[in-house]
Amino acid sequence: MSGKDRIEIFPSRMAQTIMKARLKGAQTGRNLLKKKSDALTLRFRQILKKIIETKMLMGEVMREAAFSLAEAKFTAGDFSTTVIQNVNKAQVKIRAKKDNVAGVTLPVFEHYHEGTDSYELTGLARGGEQLAKLKRNYAKAVELLVELASLQSSFPGSNVPLLISSQSWMRESEKSSIG
Amino acid sequence: MLEGAEFYFNVDHGYLEGLVRGCKASLLTQQDYINLVQCETLEDVKIHLQTTDYGNFLANQTNPLTVSKIDMEMRKKLCREFEYFRNHSLEPLSTFFTYMTCSYMIDNVILLMNGALQKKSVKEILVKCHPLGRFTEMEAVNIAETPSDLFNAVLVETPLAPFFQDCMSENTLDELNIELLRNKLYKSYLEAFYKFCKNHGDVTAEIMCPILEFEADRRAFIITLNSFGTELSKDDRETLYPTCGKLYPEGLRLLAQAEDFDQMRRVADHYGVYKPLFEAVGDGSGGKTLEDVFYEREVQMNVLAFNRQFHYGVFYAYTKLKEQEMRNIVWIAECISQRHRTKINSYIPIL
Repeated sequence: MSGKDRIEIFPSRMAQTIMKARLKGAQTGRNLLKKKSDALTLRFRQILKKIIETKMLMGEVMREAAFSLAEAKFTAGDFSTTVIQNVNKAQVKIRAKKDNVAGVTLPVFEHYHEGTDSYELTGLARGGEQLAKLKRNYAKAVELLVELASLQSSFPGSNVPLLISSQSWMRESEKSSIG
Repeated sequence: MLEGAEFYFNVDHGYLEGLVRGCKASLLTQQDYINLVQCETLEDVKIHLQTTDYGNFLANQTNPLTVSKIDMEMRKKLCREFEYFRNHSLEPLSTFFTYMTCSYMIDNVILLMNGALQKKSVKEILVKCHPLGRFTEMEAVNIAETPSDLFNAVLVETPLAPFFQDCMSENTLDELNIELLRNKLYKSYLEAFYKFCKNHGDVTAEIMCPILEFEADRRAFIITLNSFGTELSKDDRETLYPTCGKLYPEGLRLLAQAEDFDQMRRVADHYGVYKPLFEAVGDGSGGKTLEDVFYEREVQMNVLAFNRQFHYGVFYAYTKLKEQEMRNIVWIAECISQRHRTKINSYIPIL
């Protein structure tokens, strides 16, 4: 035990009882913090795994969607100006909710549909089938993007409390090792 | 028009027919398509196209080469050829050319009307209009506040005026009606074009009328197919069918009652021309769609138009074949640039 870690105390029985209580308090605090950092680490790892899976899936889905755009253009001609002209309200919207993990609130996004498809009759005279497939593919891509955004925004949200709690845990461990 | 076009045709139109036949001879062949399919990048595609009639049309493009640049340059080339034919034509061939451009004009007018309703600037819409459908009153579209103003001030001078009169019942335009308006205009255009060809008589009628009948029936089938599961009612659907095809009148009535693909197929089975087409359709994924089968038949009919001489159908057929070639090249280029080669051979072969 080095000099500066020593606590100056008068060696009496009362002081010993007080020190023991302090030691117990420090150990309890350290265990709680360990539990919190464990829960956060678990959540952190889960999120990371899901992010990797979703990103791989995203690559596939975007490729498929871009190809179905090429197919639709082949059959229906160039409908891009028609689509851009007729934009008004969004059909897919996002709600933000809060999720509680070991005392830390993390944001979660969920998407919902509202309103009808205003492009139902586009491509009525040619390419309707390909346009329907195109709409489905891009809807899937948007849903996947929302999920990815949700995961990536909760990622730093869980990381910071994890670091803080692990730092506090280390300080507590030091304190309890002194006593 | 007197019978015996071979006596009179070449006086007015012989030069242009010779020119269009020369242009047709320079369409891409099967060997060219095989070479294009084997390209690895868009630069290779550009090099291969230099050996064809396209020549150095991409020479002025900066890097990187994209599919939309290729598409734009090909369209410019087609427009230049078309304008040349049109400027050198005499009546009645020039009326024929005007009829051909009406379909592009309809698309442009719908675009402009939409833009005017949403108060967008005219210039940015003009850039997106199809160049073959240009008409002189285009810039004046933004002065109109409502669609009926638009019609009375601007469109009444264009060749589209009689088509609008057939569907002047709408005064409100929302998205549903825009597509319905487009299809109704196209229906009256097709019927007017058909009547023009039929009245002209002679070889032109013999070649053009079957092509236009097929186009009318094709539209009827595709509209029916695409309206399953949408809000379009059966009566509305029936008003969109052009009546100048083989399906008129019994086939169209049966089609209007159809509720799924099999019922449509049974209607087609009554007609000897359409039965084999429907049999060639594969089911679900893999195999051809109905639209692919129709495209192939259209290309077949257009190629056969060149077997007869002294008629205007060669100009129509050449334009359609060239557009199909453009679509094929864009398809192959997209497959190459997206590295998605599984379906690269689904272009429609022409020659």
